[in-house]
Amino acid sequence: MLTHLFRLIWNKKKQNFLLILEIFIAFIGLCAGFTFILYPYNNYKLPLGFEPQNVWVVNFDRPDEIKNLDSLQIFNESIKSVLFSLNGVEDVTYSSINFPLSGNGFNTAVRINGQESWAYFYSAEDNYIKVLGMKMQEGRWFSSDDKVANVRPAVINQTLKKKLFGSGDALGKIVEADAVGDKMKIVGVVADTKDESEMEVPGPGIFMRRDTIDLRHDYSILVKVKPGADPALESRMYKTLSNSMKNAEIEIEHLTDMKDAANKKMQVPFIIFIIIAGFLIINVGLGIFGVLWYNINKRKGEIGLRRAVGATGNAISKQLVGEALVLCTLSLILGLFFAVQFPLLSALQLPPENYVQAIILSVVFIYVLVLLCALYPGKEAARIYPAIALHED
Amino acid sequence: MLKNYFKIAIAVLKRRKFFTFISLFGISFTLIILIIIAAFFDHLFSAGYPDNKRESSLYIDRIILQNEKDWNITSPPSFYFLDHFVSRLSTPSKIAISSNFKSTNIYIKNKKLPITYKYTNDQYWEVLEYEFLEGKSYNKQQIDNGERVAVISEDARNKYFGTGDQVTGKYIEVENRQYRVIGVVKDVPTSLPHVYAEIYLPYTDAKTNAADKSLTGNFNAILLTDSKNDVKKMKEEYQQMASKIPLPGKDYDRMYTFADSYLVGYIRSIFGQGKDSGLGTFYATISIFLFLFLLLPTINLVNINISRIMERSSEIGVRKAFGASSHTLVLQFIVENIILTFLGGAIGIAISILLINIFNNSEILPNAQLSINGTVLFYTILACLVFGTLSGVYPAWRMSRMMVVNALKAS
Repeated sequence: MLTHLFRLIWNKKKQNFLLILEIFIAFIGLCAGFTFILYPYNNYKLPLGFEPQNVWVVNFDRPDEIKNLDSLQIFNESIKSVLFSLNGVEDVTYSSINFPLSGNGFNTAVRINGQESWAYFYSAEDNYIKVLGMKMQEGRWFSSDDKVANVRPAVINQTLKKKLFGSGDALGKIVEADAVGDKMKIVGVVADTKDESEMEVPGPGIFMRRDTIDLRHDYSILVKVKPGADPALESRMYKTLSNSMKNAEIEIEHLTDMKDAANKKMQVPFIIFIIIAGFLIINVGLGIFGVLWYNINKRKGEIGLRRAVGATGNAISKQLVGEALVLCTLSLILGLFFAVQFPLLSALQLPPENYVQAIILSVVFIYVLVLLCALYPGKEAARIYPAIALHED
Repeated sequence: MLKNYFKIAIAVLKRRKFFTFISLFGISFTLIILIIIAAFFDHLFSAGYPDNKRESSLYIDRIILQNEKDWNITSPPSFYFLDHFVSRLSTPSKIAISSNFKSTNIYIKNKKLPITYKYTNDQYWEVLEYEFLEGKSYNKQQIDNGERVAVISEDARNKYFGTGDQVTGKYIEVENRQYRVIGVVKDVPTSLPHVYAEIYLPYTDAKTNAADKSLTGNFNAILLTDSKNDVKKMKEEYQQMASKIPLPGKDYDRMYTFADSYLVGYIRSIFGQGKDSGLGTFYATISIFLFLFLLLPTINLVNINISRIMERSSEIGVRKAFGASSHTLVLQFIVENIILTFLGGAIGIAISILLINIFNNSEILPNAQLSINGTVLFYTILACLVFGTLSGVYPAWRMSRMMVVNALKAS
């Protein structure tokens, strides 16, 4: 049966060539499209790694007039206590400006025994993990005991651990980071956080305990407020802060708003893409439908003859749908040959399972599309009466 | 002759309505996408409110400091750089200097109003043609006196003071300072970041520029000449000036800064690398995208066209038998196909106008007004011609090679 269908198509390869080409291009397009959509979608399903609810971000310019780092430290402590004095504030922490969702990022190279990886580089205080609701995987976060530690403590995230140590042990190991220039001892491993948006794969990261020396770089304040905090608290916070730091430009943002904004920015291209792809698919579907329908009309004589020698209507429609599916399979074999090159050559550096999912989805999609397009013409063909069909000829 | 072709084309279109629908759907949809992309590009890159003089302007929005080890810092220039070096150029007749817009919150009656503001010089108001709904802009004297005055957008007025009030002379609080409102301007969309803001303040109040002599900061400038012919000269003068600026510190080996036309500047911000503006990369990307996007609809149309032509084999056979050359037949079919494409084009334009209207009235991109103007229309018609010819050539060739005997026998 199958070989027979194949021979039928082969006999008309010239007429079928364009249809095969069209399905082939549609398939390649779909593969690319699904890869493009699945990648962020798969990432979206991964945990965020922190809790943005009730976290406010205070951005401010540090006062120009304070040059000395120690006096800056004292100034920062006073700001902290001002914030704590507000009713409704639960916790306050200073952070480098590359906290999750900030849109900022600093990279450094991290090395151990010849192994090297790039990593996002954060400086954080002892209560940072509590404010952001991050989860420890092993070991511990920083504490005030670390102030007197001989070797600077560091906390790395899961991804960096995997990159540097594989499945091995990370705790207690001494690493070097370019950004610090000092040896650091790993005291804990923390769960990954998504830094740019929910659709992104968390990168490797290394956290360092904040020190006076970090005050030379810009920093932000993260404030954990009690649930139900309202604009009144924000207004009070703004007034209090601007009274304590004259001439500073202060901005208070909500981490949840930043998350929504980041997601929205990621979503726009996808929505546009899906609209365009959707209409292209409809276009292709209609085209295939039209051509199949036309072909069947042209083959009335042949179909009539088959009916006359005893084929049932069902058998006819099965044959036509089968032909369409064989045609589709030919295109897909051609398409698969090109599609598998991407994971094989690991082009674009996406995870291979991403391609596999995209290819499987595309194959299913194309089959369903062709099947839907072939069903109606096939049914029409089944209704052909041999007498009328043969009479026309 | 053409009239005949036209009549035949319409007759053929009427014959198989479903095929006609498929063809028209494909053509018009493809064109809708192209028209909307073109309208969007036109909105981004062509002169428009309030930046009406783009063709005689150059834009400065970045300084690249490079180290030999190949790390570099890309940053907007500082006010000092623009004021001290750029404003000494002789070709520009006016120079608009403004900070990149910043966002802040205003708190009134326990409500939070997120708002954006930027600092500008006085010539900003002469280079850019803002439409004042009330009041006027600040002048050099007011800036020199350090007056705290503000020009606000219509949107900011509605948010802060309520709709419809006269607000000139009232006070608005930004960053804990009271500013007297002296003018209200029509809104600008966020898609024009160099002129967008909700509140405009004199640069003297910018808290960051005090005596800071670094070259990098948070400002940008627009250089305006009196005539378009001077733009090239202005660009050369800028490059000469830039090459003479001493490097800030030993860390850097090279400094690049550019006075670009708006399009080049925009593309440089996305594709630019070092000295290269990335214009080539941009055109290549666009071409590849267009090619891939047009490929599928074209093949689809070719497919449908072949089916339709084969249906007309008897007609073709008769014409050939009576001596019509292949050449004539090919031409006829291509003309028919172009007519079909233009029909699809007309539908596409109609739907695009509808969609653009919906877009303009929606809040997707506030204050942005897309439009289909002459340029967009021209490219649409061009696209129709190319599309129509391309999808007509192969089927026509197939048709013209049909043997008379076979063609007549098939029916």
